[in-house]
Amino acid sequence: MARYAMVFDIRRCIGCHSCTVACRTKNELPMDMIYNPVTTVGPTGVYPNLSMVHLPLICMHCDNPPCVDACPTGASQRRDDGIVFVEDKKCVGCLACVMACPYGARVKNHESGAVQKCDFCKDRVDEGKLPYCVLTCHQKARVFGDLDDETSEVYKLVNGERTVRLLAELGTEPYAFYIYG
Amino acid sequence: MSKSIDLQQEGIEVKKSCCYFCHQNCGVLAYVKDGKVLAIEGDPSYPTNEGGLCCRGNIALKHLDHPARVNYPLKRVGKRGEGKWEQIPWDQAMDEIAAKLAAIRDEFGAEAVATAGGTSRTDDWARRRFMNMFGSPNCFHNSHLCWIPTFMVETAIYGWCPFDLDLGASRCLVLWGQNPGASSMPEMHHIRELQTKGLKVIVIDPRFTETAAKADLWLPLRPGSDLALALAWVNVIIHEGLYDAEFVTEYCEGFGELADHVEQFTPEWAAPLTWLTPEQIRESAYMYATSKPGNIQWGVAIDQLGKSAGAAMHARALLRALTGNLDCPGSDLLTGPSQDSITDEEMEANDMLPEAQKAKQIGADRFKLITWPGYGRIAELAKKHWGKAPTAEWMCEAHPPSVFNAIITGEPYQIKALLVSATNPVNSYGQSKMTLEALRKVDFMVTCEYWMTPTAALSDYVLPIAGALERPTITNSYGCADFLLCSQRAIQPMYERRNDYNFWRDLGMRMGQEEMWPWETVEDAYHYRIEPLGYGAESYDEFVDLYRFHFPEREYFKYKRIGFGTPSGKVELYSSTLKDLGYPPLPEYAGPVENELDDPELAKEYPLVLTTGNGFMPFHHSEHFQIKELRFLRHEPRVEINPATAAELGIADEDWVWIETRRGRIKQKAALTQGVAPRVIVTERGWWFPERSMAEPELGGCLESNTNVLTSVDDEHCDPFSGTWANRGLLCKVYKVNGADAKEGK
Repeated sequence: MARYAMVFDIRRCIGCHSCTVACRTKNELPMDMIYNPVTTVGPTGVYPNLSMVHLPLICMHCDNPPCVDACPTGASQRRDDGIVFVEDKKCVGCLACVMACPYGARVKNHESGAVQKCDFCKDRVDEGKLPYCVLTCHQKARVFGDLDDETSEVYKLVNGERTVRLLAELGTEPYAFYIYG
Repeated sequence: MSKSIDLQQEGIEVKKSCCYFCHQNCGVLAYVKDGKVLAIEGDPSYPTNEGGLCCRGNIALKHLDHPARVNYPLKRVGKRGEGKWEQIPWDQAMDEIAAKLAAIRDEFGAEAVATAGGTSRTDDWARRRFMNMFGSPNCFHNSHLCWIPTFMVETAIYGWCPFDLDLGASRCLVLWGQNPGASSMPEMHHIRELQTKGLKVIVIDPRFTETAAKADLWLPLRPGSDLALALAWVNVIIHEGLYDAEFVTEYCEGFGELADHVEQFTPEWAAPLTWLTPEQIRESAYMYATSKPGNIQWGVAIDQLGKSAGAAMHARALLRALTGNLDCPGSDLLTGPSQDSITDEEMEANDMLPEAQKAKQIGADRFKLITWPGYGRIAELAKKHWGKAPTAEWMCEAHPPSVFNAIITGEPYQIKALLVSATNPVNSYGQSKMTLEALRKVDFMVTCEYWMTPTAALSDYVLPIAGALERPTITNSYGCADFLLCSQRAIQPMYERRNDYNFWRDLGMRMGQEEMWPWETVEDAYHYRIEPLGYGAESYDEFVDLYRFHFPEREYFKYKRIGFGTPSGKVELYSSTLKDLGYPPLPEYAGPVENELDDPELAKEYPLVLTTGNGFMPFHHSEHFQIKELRFLRHEPRVEINPATAAELGIADEDWVWIETRRGRIKQKAALTQGVAPRVIVTERGWWFPERSMAEPELGGCLESNTNVLTSVDDEHCDPFSGTWANRGLLCKVYKVNGADAKEGK
């Protein structure tokens, strides 16, 4: 069984928002919804001694996802390959998962009433394709793949580079990894 | 809940299309069924973007069928700019336009018809072909502000413009006034890859850009002071012995004169002009000259300096020659024009334009480099050397501000008609108030467009034009590269849209040019162009399906075999071509168009240094403001101000502020950032508001936040070589807007 993960190479991200726009367009999201914002930090320092980084965010696809535990109807689920998703027909829009998620990754769709979030483009992944945000990233700042596959790029990065997980101290075991430099 | 469309379903065709929203033309796969595009994605096998698409590329389907698109030919009813239109058939529109143009030619001469073109949306050779046979030399583009003066100065010095970088083997890349992090994403990706393998990147930019943040060395120079920096680099490289003595001795002319000339331009001299330290200047010059081989990538900023632009291009061009970074592996390559296919220039029929008409080109009396006097000379040299010339439609243009001025004043003669294709001059040319006055005043205006822009709104006819997915595209650096990247149309144009090729052809057919337009479709014309490649494809589409690209093998050190395409056959550090045109053969120093040293009185009233025109995501030029899927990223115009300056002026983050120069004022929202120097103000370009009324007097608020209100096209601010006008290094003041609804007068 695969174990899907995404690695964000912060050294490469330029904050162009292609991923944000691609995701929203592909998933036909309403204008007030974003699955994958990119936050720009900086320029920090005092001119001309400056630095700037861009931080892409998504659903972290936690191994121990509090949103799934919080969901009273079973709409929030975790597949065996680690992809966390919402079955929208079962979602009653109670927002319990929204409050449980420490990453702010879930948003209620006010048109459909269901809560939605990034699902790693699971339909594309099932066809053997990359999530659209990964394909569209000119900078190759996102790497997606199977962490159980020792030949995969994500395996090599997670095991070969200094990666961090956001809010690792909460023990949610996110499957999004960040390389800072 | 992914809404992915089943792309395996029966009847789906995958078309090899491309994106059209900047010059990169990234490869796109379009999934088409029953004449409709169901989905697009970046083409993973396209060599530049490798599947990537920027945010603009991703909204292609929104662009394709946006509710605000112009989809049918429109004829003005009522007064100009009143916003009343009648939908008419194409044939009627073309008959009426042809009749009007013929009448103008008969009464005022063919030169009374001018055309304005945009960036990379059009079949430019077709426009030039039409105009050459019609008899008018007055085609123009925004090309003055973008690469073309550089191309011509460098071609004068080395016989071609080395815009093709052999980056893979390079050890140093200078990004001079260029920010690929916001404007050429595929390039940025390759740079980053190579940096991990040891490539050194120097960014020269007043702003701490996306690219500067990733650079090995960032030189935050004073806006508009590029010439001083380039001269100081030349000084360091010569006088500190960093030049390639063998290359200079064997293959360059005029080294002694240059060495004497630049003795005065020391880093100590340049430091106060550039706001850099002598150490920064020396360190960066050493890094470029000693990390060999290396490249200096073209950046748009130098083309926009105005007065000092030509000399700055000249000085920058000399750096490559002095270091031997020309045509060797890892350096800047002189590819010459395509020898294998029919070039744009060969499609233009330039010899059909009589000499007497060439002589009437507006601006040719003053700005000789990219008008017939300079182009004619350089094209002649290029033909002798390469057998082919650079594209005239770009390199040989009427001077746009002078054309607008001619419309207003009738001097040097009357311009009665303006055919506008894929451009919105009021937002993209200098001194917008003057440009707008000209657009209001011109007798007859036709605009080929996607949208009802402020310019289209003032037209007599607005014609709906096909976009990226609806037309084939050849990408070859404006006819000046020797390679081709070819894309096909995904679908036939929707509604009643047509290619601009068909516009020019249909017009030509009505004006007695039948014999010159044997190709009914763009594909027919493109097939004619690629046939000599010898792939044996039956049609253009088949070529794209089977081959798509043509990359001739690189030949390094061509100059050892054929020399350089200059009168002496060598690199002319001391340029005889520039001298023959009446320009200084060596780069002479001139300050920024407005600066505190030359204009101390002006600097008292306008104490801040303005730079305009940098590209920013998600927009391109004045485009895409109506697309909400992009606009949410940047819904209002922003001006960058250092927090220390803002505090002095009593300005808080997100305050609306006026930015004022001698030419006028605009308002944008203050974005406080350490990314600019305390004395520097950086505005965003392009802004207008398509959500507002597009009729007079509102015209989409096209002056309100439009940075070109601030720029200068005064003759004394223009580059004497090329006529490029001043977008950088101007003086301004900034103050808070009282009441955000405050509007500048129309």
